[in-house]
Amino acid sequence: MRIYAYAVIDSNSKITAPINGLEGIGVYNISYRDIGIVVSEGEQIQDITQEHILKHEEVVEKLMESFTVLPVSFLTLFKKKDDVLLMMQEHYSDFRENLDRLRNKVEFGIKIIWPGETIKNRVIEASKKLNANVAIADNTPGKSFAMQKLEKYKIDKEFAEEADRCIALLDDFFSRFVTEKKLEKLKSDNLLLNAYYLVEKEKQGDFKEAFERAKNTPGDLKYLFSGPWPPYNFISLTKKSSSLDYLNTKDVFTKLVNNLDLTEKNII
Amino acid sequence: MEYVTTKSKDVTLLEILDRVLDKGVVISGDLVISLAEIDLIYVGLKVLISSVETMERLRGAPFASPMQEPK
Repeated sequence: MRIYAYAVIDSNSKITAPINGLEGIGVYNISYRDIGIVVSEGEQIQDITQEHILKHEEVVEKLMESFTVLPVSFLTLFKKKDDVLLMMQEHYSDFRENLDRLRNKVEFGIKIIWPGETIKNRVIEASKKLNANVAIADNTPGKSFAMQKLEKYKIDKEFAEEADRCIALLDDFFSRFVTEKKLEKLKSDNLLLNAYYLVEKEKQGDFKEAFERAKNTPGDLKYLFSGPWPPYNFISLTKKSSSLDYLNTKDVFTKLVNNLDLTEKNII
Repeated sequence: MEYVTTKSKDVTLLEILDRVLDKGVVISGDLVISLAEIDLIYVGLKVLISSVETMERLRGAPFASPMQEPK
């Protein structure tokens, strides 16, 4: 028997709404003090599929309608209930703190794509023009190599600074309605910003409106908006588990990769 | 699967992957994170980026929510 965990919740009561988890098995709440962890029981899953991932998320989102949730990462399995309780005991204060901090808040994701290549070319052109005016007194191979390196560094720096300026303008639209945020800059040349924002539920409307305003600003940026999500990106645990006999998931993850067949061709 | 609409299913899956695999409550910490998992996350993000760019180019519209049709 395996116990599969979906989310820690701010309640030690029974789950009244019928929610089916992986393999169609009903979920229930294992209480610990004033909180709980929602789980389902089943045999070891043989073939991990996309549906399992979607089901995990579906369960967490259903729980989110009634509780403050701390979503547990996919494929967190326990051998027996005692292990679950030990884990809850070990992390109780962390869970309690996170549940209090994240109460009535949801996560939104914003990705902004800019024409990175065009902008980089513009920076390169500007740099060439500038250099054309500078007479090269010494063009020995060594110096030339150093100059090229320096030039590349300058271009990258200017590109990054351009991104910073753009992100600052955009982030300003969203930040006034958020309580926490995580910004990732230039994960690729074209993915200008990958941002996660934590927003109070009652300010969702304002936040979406701010997004619409930013999106409607003339320019060549593309936007991808998603949410509301459970606050996956805003959970911080100070304690790592060390003593429990958790199941090794390496094999199932390998299967997952194979089954998902995540190739660009497949997705597009 | 009806829960996720077909048109936005791929991007939805990638957005979900981005979250559920290594974020949230990662109870088992360093013990369970294996090389296989790290590879998967890497693959997921790489595809996410290219997929988002292409989808956006084709559609030109943002997605309304993780589980809904784009507006």
